[in-house]
Amino acid sequence: MADYHPIDDHPIEGETNFDNPLPANVSASQHAARRSRKTKKLMYGLAGIGVLLIAGLFIYQALNTSLVYFILPSEYATNASLYDSRRIRLGGIVEEASVRFDDQALLLNFYITDSVERYAVQHYGTPPELFRENTGVVVEGGFQDGMFVSDNLLVKHTEVYEAPEDGKIDLDMLRESLE
Amino acid sequence: MDMSLSLSTLGTASLTLAMAVCVYAMVAGILGARRRDARLQTSARYAAVAVFMAMTTAVLTMQTALLTDDFSVQYVANTSRLASPTWVKVVTMWAALEGSILLWAWLASGYAALAAFVSPNNALRNWALVILNAVSAFFISVNALVANPFTLVPNPPLDGPGPNALLQNHWMMAVHPVLMYLGFVGLTVPFAFAMAALITKRPGSEWMQQTRAWSITGWGFLGIAKIAGGWWSYEVLGWGGYWAWDPVENVSFLPWLTATAFIHSVQVQERRRMLKAWNLLLIILTFALTILGTFIIRSGIVSSVHAFGDGPVGPYFLAFFLLITLGAFGLLAWRWDQVRDRGELDAIVSREGTFLLGNVLFLAMAFAVLLGTLFPLFVEAVSGDKVTVGAPFFNQVSLPIWLGLFALMGIGPLLPWRKANHQKLIHNLSWMVASAILAAVLAYIFGVRKVYPLWTVAFAAYNFASIALLLDAGVRPRMKATGRGFWPVLGQYAQESRRRFGSIIVHFSVIIMALGVAGSGGYRVDEQVRVDLGGTVALDGNYRLEVVDRFMEQTPARISAGVIVNVFNGNRQVATLRPRINAFGADQQPVPTPDVLYTAWQDIYLSVAGTVSPDQDFVVLRVVQSPLVAWIWVGAVIMGIGTVYCLLPKRRLVPEPARQTALAGS
Repeated sequence: MADYHPIDDHPIEGETNFDNPLPANVSASQHAARRSRKTKKLMYGLAGIGVLLIAGLFIYQALNTSLVYFILPSEYATNASLYDSRRIRLGGIVEEASVRFDDQALLLNFYITDSVERYAVQHYGTPPELFRENTGVVVEGGFQDGMFVSDNLLVKHTEVYEAPEDGKIDLDMLRESLE
Repeated sequence: MDMSLSLSTLGTASLTLAMAVCVYAMVAGILGARRRDARLQTSARYAAVAVFMAMTTAVLTMQTALLTDDFSVQYVANTSRLASPTWVKVVTMWAALEGSILLWAWLASGYAALAAFVSPNNALRNWALVILNAVSAFFISVNALVANPFTLVPNPPLDGPGPNALLQNHWMMAVHPVLMYLGFVGLTVPFAFAMAALITKRPGSEWMQQTRAWSITGWGFLGIAKIAGGWWSYEVLGWGGYWAWDPVENVSFLPWLTATAFIHSVQVQERRRMLKAWNLLLIILTFALTILGTFIIRSGIVSSVHAFGDGPVGPYFLAFFLLITLGAFGLLAWRWDQVRDRGELDAIVSREGTFLLGNVLFLAMAFAVLLGTLFPLFVEAVSGDKVTVGAPFFNQVSLPIWLGLFALMGIGPLLPWRKANHQKLIHNLSWMVASAILAAVLAYIFGVRKVYPLWTVAFAAYNFASIALLLDAGVRPRMKATGRGFWPVLGQYAQESRRRFGSIIVHFSVIIMALGVAGSGGYRVDEQVRVDLGGTVALDGNYRLEVVDRFMEQTPARISAGVIVNVFNGNRQVATLRPRINAFGADQQPVPTPDVLYTAWQDIYLSVAGTVSPDQDFVVLRVVQSPLVAWIWVGAVIMGIGTVYCLLPKRRLVPEPARQTALAGS
C-alpha cells in the first residue's frame, strides 16, 4: 500500500499552515511556549476530570430519584417503607366487584390484587376501553395514606388469569404478563 | 395460484441475486484495491448498481403483492388487509419487521450505487464502496436469511389483519420511517469513507470534505424524521405530547446527537487540522449507535409500537453491532499514530474552543440518554428488579446541557478561529447578555415564573442578538465598501456565504423549537372534562368548548365513533373539531384519534376518553392545551430550509472585480 501522504497539508488560502506550527530553528522563547502549552494541557485535563466527576455525581443523583419500580401488591406489602416515598408502577388484577366510577368527578376506584395482597386504587379519568374486572392492569403513581393514587392506567391482556382454579395466582407468571 | 407462486419466488430470487452480487462487489472491490486492478474496481462499481436494481425488483415485487392482495406472500398475509385504502397498502411495506428491513436494504443499496458514480475517482472511493456494500450485504442478508418477507404461504388466508392500527391511523406513517432511514443510510456514507481513509492510511480531511454533502443530508433527514415522528405521536397517541423519553425515541436520538457533534467538529478539522481522531470516533459512534438502536428496538427487549416481536433478528443485529464496533475502533486504534493531531488548541475562547465544548456537551447528553435507556436492563440483570427510568431523569440531565449548548450556539459563530479579540468579545457579549436579561425580565412580568422556560426565553433573546450581530458583521462592511443598501447587500452576502447563512437559519430554527418546547413542556394543561351532549365547558384562556353531537362514520377500512365539538374563542367560533375512536377491522383494538386546533400561541387538543355510546348522554374529553407547540413544527420546516440552503452550490452573481472590492472592505 502507498505511503501516507498527508493530502491536506497545504494550508487554506490566506491562512497559516497550522500543521507545522514551529519552524526547524526553535528559539528559547519557543521552547518556553511549548512548556506552557504542556501545563495548559494538564490544566485542561484536570478540569475535564473535575467536570466528569461532577457530571457523574449529578447523573447518579438524577437516576436514583427517577427510578420507577414495577412491583406487585404483595411485594409492596413486604417492603412498604422502601416504596412509600417514590413513584412506582403497581401491577395486578382488577378485583371482582370492586370497580366504582364516579362519572361526575371522573374518579375511578377499584381494588388491585395479586391474590396475596389487595390495595385500593384511585385513578383520575375514565376507565380505558378494555378496562374490566379480572383483567390485568398496571397503575402508575404512589401511595397516599394506604391508597394508591394513580395518574396512568394501562390495561394488559392477561386472559390467562381470569379464572385461577384454586384462587391463587402464579406471581411470577403474573409479573411476566404485566411487564 | 401461478401468479402468487411467481411473486413469492420472484421476490426471494431477487433477494438472493442481490445478496450474491453484493458479495461479488465486495470481493471485487477488495481484490481490485489490493492488486491495483482498475477493471476489477470498475466492475465493483457496476456491481453496486446491479445490487440496487435487484433490490428495486424485490421492492416492486413486494409492492405488487401488497397492491394485488396476494396473501400467499407471508408478509402480505401477516400485515396487509383487503379493505385498506391504496396508500395504506403501499406503506404497509414498512409497517412490520421484514418489510422495513427491505426498505432499509433498498435505500442502502441505492446510496451505494449513487456513491459509486458521483464520488470522485480517488484512493478512497474503492474502499468506501467495499464498506457500503458490506452494509448493504448485511441488510439484504437479514431479509434473505432470517426475515424473508417473501416466504410462500402454502394455504393463503382470504384476508389479513392489516398493519398496526396506530400506524394506519395517520399519513405520517408514509413519511416518518422513510425519512428516518434516509438519515441512517445517509450517515453510512461518511462512515464508509472514514473507514476507507483509515484503511488506505489517508486519515486527513479528504474523507470528510468528500462526504460533506452526504453528512449534512443524512443529518438533516434524521433531524426532520425525529420531529416528524414527534408530530405523529402528537396527532395519534392521544396524550397531547410529542416526546416521552420512550426507549425508541431515545435510541434514535443518540445518532442524531453524535451526528450533530460531527457536523460541527469536522469544521474544526477543515480549518485547524485538529480533531482528526475525534471526528473519526464520532462518525463511527454515529453508525454504531444506529445499529445498536435498531437492535434495541427491534429485538423486543423494550416494548413499543416499533417493536415487531422478538425473533432471530435481534441477535443478528447485535452481532453486526459488535462487529462494527470492534472492527472500526480496532482500525482506529491501529492507525492511531496517523490520526494524532499536530495542531493544538490555542485558546478555549475561540471558534474551535466552543465547537469542542459543544461536542463534549452533545456527547455527554448522548451518554446520559443511553445510560438512562439501558439502565433498566442493568438493574434487572443485577438485582432482578423491574424498573423504568422516568422522564424526570432525562429532563434533569438534558435540560441543563441544552442550555449550555444554547450559550455556545450564540457565542461560537461570533468568535474567530484561533483566538478571540477580547474587546470585540465583550462588546458582543454585552449586547447578547443585555438582550437575555431584558427578555427574561419581560417574560417574568408577563407571568413566566418557571425556571427552564425563563432560561429558554433568556437564551432565545441572547441567540437572536447573536444572529443580529453576525449579520451586522457580515453586511455592514460590505455596505460601506459598495455603498449599496442593506437588503441587496444582505442578499449578496447570503448567496456568497451559503454555509454560514444556512447555519444561521438552522440555529434560528433551533431557537424557535426551543421556545416551542419550553412553552408546551412548561405550561401544558392536561385535564379530562365531562360534557353533556349540547353542553359547554370553559377552558383556560378565553376558550370554550361546545359538544354538539355524536357522530358515526364508516369507510370500508374503518368505523369511527366520535363527537362534534365547536371551539369558541370569546364569542367567536374558531373551529369545529371531531375527535373520534377509530376501529380498523375486528382483529384490532380501537384507537382514540385526537383532533387539534393549531394556533400560533396555543393548541387546543381534544381526544375522546372512555367511550362514545348511544346509551350515554355525555362524553368525557381529554383536553390538552399546549402553548407554542406549533413552533416546533414550524421550526422543523425552517430547519429543513436551512439545511437545504447549506447544500446549495455556490453562486457568484457579482462580477469578480466588484466582489474583490467588497471582500477587501471587510
